[in-house]
Amino acid sequence: MWKQFLSKLPRKSSASGDSGQCSNGTGIQRTSSCGSVPSARPASAIRRMSSAVFPSSVVAGIEPLVSFKDVPNSEKQTLFVSKLSLCCVVFDFSDPNKSSVEKDIKRQALLDLIEFVESSSARFSEAAIAACAKMCAINLFRAFPPNYRSGSSGGGEGDEDEPMFDPAWCHLQLVYELLLKFIGSSSLDAKIGKKHFDHSFIVKLLNLLDSEDPRERDCLKTILHRIYGKFMVHRPFIRKAVSNIFYQFVFETDRHNGIAELLEVFGSVISGFALPLKEEHKIFLWRVLIPLHKPKSVGLYLQQLTYCVTQFLEKDPKLASSVIIGLLRYWPIINCQKEVMFLSAIEEILESTSQAEFQKCMVPLFRRIAHCITSSHFQVAERALFVWNNDHIISLIAQNRQVIMPLVVPALEQNIQNHWNQAVLNLTMNVKKMFSEMDEDLFSSCLAKHKEDEEKRVSLEVKRKLTWEKLESAAAFQPVTGHTAVLVGHQPSANMIATLI
Amino acid sequence: MAMIDEPLYPIAVLIDELKNEDIQLRLNSIRRLSTIARALGEERTRKELIPFLSENNDDEDEVLLAMAEELGVFIPYVGGVEHAHVLLPPLETLCTVEETCVRDKAVESLCRIGAQMKEIDIVDWFIPVVKRLAAGEWFTARVSSCGLFHIAYPSAPDQLKTELRTIYGQLCQDDMPMVRRAAASNLGKFAATVEQSYLKTEIMSIFDDLTQDDQDSVRLLAVEGCAALGKLLEPQDCVAHILPVIVNFSQDKSWRVRYMVANQLYELCEAVGPEPTRADLVPAYVRLLRDNEAEVRIAAAGKVTKFCRILSPQLAIQHILPCVKELSSDSSQHVRSALASVIMGMAPVLGKDATIEQLLPIFLSLLKDEFPDVRLNIISKLDQVNQVIGIDLLSQSLLPAIVELAEDRHWRVRLAIIEYIPLLASQLGVGFFDDKLGALCMQWLEDKVYSIRDAAANNLKRLAEEFGPEWAMQHIIPQVLEKINNPHYLYRMTILQAISLLAPVMGAEITCQKLLPVVINSSKDRVPNIKFNVAKVLQSLIPILDQSVVEKTVKPCLVELSEDPDVDVRYYANQALQVCDQMMVSS
Repeated sequence: MWKQFLSKLPRKSSASGDSGQCSNGTGIQRTSSCGSVPSARPASAIRRMSSAVFPSSVVAGIEPLVSFKDVPNSEKQTLFVSKLSLCCVVFDFSDPNKSSVEKDIKRQALLDLIEFVESSSARFSEAAIAACAKMCAINLFRAFPPNYRSGSSGGGEGDEDEPMFDPAWCHLQLVYELLLKFIGSSSLDAKIGKKHFDHSFIVKLLNLLDSEDPRERDCLKTILHRIYGKFMVHRPFIRKAVSNIFYQFVFETDRHNGIAELLEVFGSVISGFALPLKEEHKIFLWRVLIPLHKPKSVGLYLQQLTYCVTQFLEKDPKLASSVIIGLLRYWPIINCQKEVMFLSAIEEILESTSQAEFQKCMVPLFRRIAHCITSSHFQVAERALFVWNNDHIISLIAQNRQVIMPLVVPALEQNIQNHWNQAVLNLTMNVKKMFSEMDEDLFSSCLAKHKEDEEKRVSLEVKRKLTWEKLESAAAFQPVTGHTAVLVGHQPSANMIATLI
Repeated sequence: MAMIDEPLYPIAVLIDELKNEDIQLRLNSIRRLSTIARALGEERTRKELIPFLSENNDDEDEVLLAMAEELGVFIPYVGGVEHAHVLLPPLETLCTVEETCVRDKAVESLCRIGAQMKEIDIVDWFIPVVKRLAAGEWFTARVSSCGLFHIAYPSAPDQLKTELRTIYGQLCQDDMPMVRRAAASNLGKFAATVEQSYLKTEIMSIFDDLTQDDQDSVRLLAVEGCAALGKLLEPQDCVAHILPVIVNFSQDKSWRVRYMVANQLYELCEAVGPEPTRADLVPAYVRLLRDNEAEVRIAAAGKVTKFCRILSPQLAIQHILPCVKELSSDSSQHVRSALASVIMGMAPVLGKDATIEQLLPIFLSLLKDEFPDVRLNIISKLDQVNQVIGIDLLSQSLLPAIVELAEDRHWRVRLAIIEYIPLLASQLGVGFFDDKLGALCMQWLEDKVYSIRDAAANNLKRLAEEFGPEWAMQHIIPQVLEKINNPHYLYRMTILQAISLLAPVMGAEITCQKLLPVVINSSKDRVPNIKFNVAKVLQSLIPILDQSVVEKTVKPCLVELSEDPDVDVRYYANQALQVCDQMMVSS
């Protein structure tokens, strides 16, 4: 299922060639030598992380331990623990020449450990599990250094910059691989494992997803998925903890590097939900997934987000109208790129929307689409008009033309009269033609109604102004509670002052 | 306006407008809620308008935000403070929406209203709102409630107070980090209203829990509250409870936490008193000044003067100064820049001898820094040193620094140094200025970048103000007027601008004799842009000049310009002529 899910999603992070593809399910492919970097970028472009990441403790020399081959089976678990505690020593990579021998010893130890976990068939003892969790915690859980790129202005558009890479990656990567293999190993008893890979461990692991390094996020994504699969008891907690990350992202900080990865994991989590959907899961859809459409960086994860949403709709098609209304609520006002993306997302959802659901949301939806059609940004207008290329949607429209045509025709007319872009004009003409072929009578009555409305518009405007003026003067005659100033924070209108004088 | 035809139903108007598709119209009508309220009168506002608003909360966030804001100043329209409680229900609903801005605004408005309500009304109406929100099912309500306790608490009777403290304690242990963060960031405000005895017990235990939260983000906010809380406590309690926490935080593994500590450590010094400061806070601060993470050093370096002001000079020299020396050659330019922006303030703290002996070398090395911001920051605070040691000791190094900045290839740097020229001139004195800086000021008038030329013209005005018209007659005016013959029209335009700025400072006589002829002459320029700028300048000169001069010289020139073939020239000439005429009429 996991594989299937990954293959559906075009991948964004595969730029960093070496670890981009974990989809074979066997784990993290490692780079061949310490300190090597993805070949795609020149070595000079790599930013070194500052040394604050590392505890400044001086590392005592570590001695290599014997290889697993050389000890009898009965002692292997003990050696496993010893090797794990050896790996608890964390090195300072800010200086590549410092303790390079020891670094290599640790690297070799990590490789041995991975090989052992892969081949081991005996159950891991509790001591071994505890040692593994501890070693991973010591190596992986660290505070990320400040992000200098976005500066104090905190612009969210910094995604074009080079990500920052942890110089210790060559060790981190192996630790991640070990963790992945360990969690996935059939020799790990979930009942014991859950005690050591506990809530605190999971929260800290989730925090790491904010890493700037796509390779690291990729490892974490795979591991998180494994943990979710292996430790059933932790599932509700993981869902809650991830929701909290989403809430913080949407409502507080507006920045997080790992949203796409988290959503990828959730895509397969959702597809595993049992039917009928629990209320808890529907709340997740409404309170988390829909608001996730709001942040300005939505483009970075919209694909994964839409996938999650469509997973929900596949499970329960009756959710479609509430999803569409939710999207309309977060419709971008000035961001045209986002608007185009939203239109695509809407189209994708409509694809699998039934007649009944469609009818529940078609009025606000087509009001919005009509608005997009007249957008002066040609890509928005084009994208909105492309909706009429979709056969399923056309049939939905045709069956509800009595409602939709009156909403859309004025927009078409407005474009024909004064849209600047030729392509938009052509598309508009096509849609117009389609409408008139669909229902000649209805179309011409809509057209007539539109002309009438246009003529009335000016007088309506005048009437509105008049009403407000009357209100103003009526207001001016009313006494207001004596002691407090009346005009707090408001600009008195000229009219009102005139009346007062 | 006569009120004839159909009768007016204010609420109906609002309902109608709020149904409109156009969000701008809906927004406008919410912005005019007070008009509707006044038209309705107080009683109907209470009985009809407010209930309607309480139910109409399904609009777009922008409309809701406007509503939350309007309701905050609505007390007069519902009949004054005794009826203020009717405003609580709609705001309570707005406290539970998803959008953070709306919630924050609703909380703000609730606080504003609550602050005016009578004690008994607070107990009857406001506190129930707080309690309901705090028990809200969705986290948004609970988050909002955290910001209301400091308004509710002081008016509550003892039993309710106990209850409120308990509820706040629960919010600090809420299941959702969002709520805990809100509780942590409002703890200082709430604590300020709590009685000393509970402060030490209940509030401190809440604080302790927050500082040990497993979410970094919560701990971070707890640190932020440290200083505020410390100030509320008696010194010995602060030493016992806050000091260990902050010392511990100063070595936290997350740089963000250390950064927060660096930012507010100095505030705690006052709260704990001199002895613990010396024993614990100075070592902690020194550690932060030497932190591995540049970001932390930036924060710490920026507070170095504030910190030293609290310490005795001796302690500052002994412990802080060595770090300052290190920081002045820090590998991060931002650290050096942060240091440079405050270090001059240390001079008055350390006194003359220590400044000359210890600080001066640092100033000098920062003045030669490769990063222009560092040099600029030093120059911008020159007056602080001047008071202590006089400027002579610095002037030797100052000049090369200024000249180099004046010719920096980034125009923003040049702009920044121009801003400081009047300050420098006042500190360095006329003599120094004439020798060294005068030429620079003229050179900027011919800069390639408009903003620089613009600033240069302004600078001349400020210099003329500083040194007086007589000096300006000698050192500025001739040099400026010379440049009016520059072959490039943009440079000629700068001169015109300089003239219009200098004229008010120089006074009527000099303007009439020296400046006006040059302007009049420029009206014959071949470039229309110059000509309409002449019209603009003349217009600005009219109030300064003598009536007769305007009649005799300015007006004929403007009349001629008003017949120019260029439309813009005619436009501005006519505008100036109008001003001329108005002056005539009014005099």
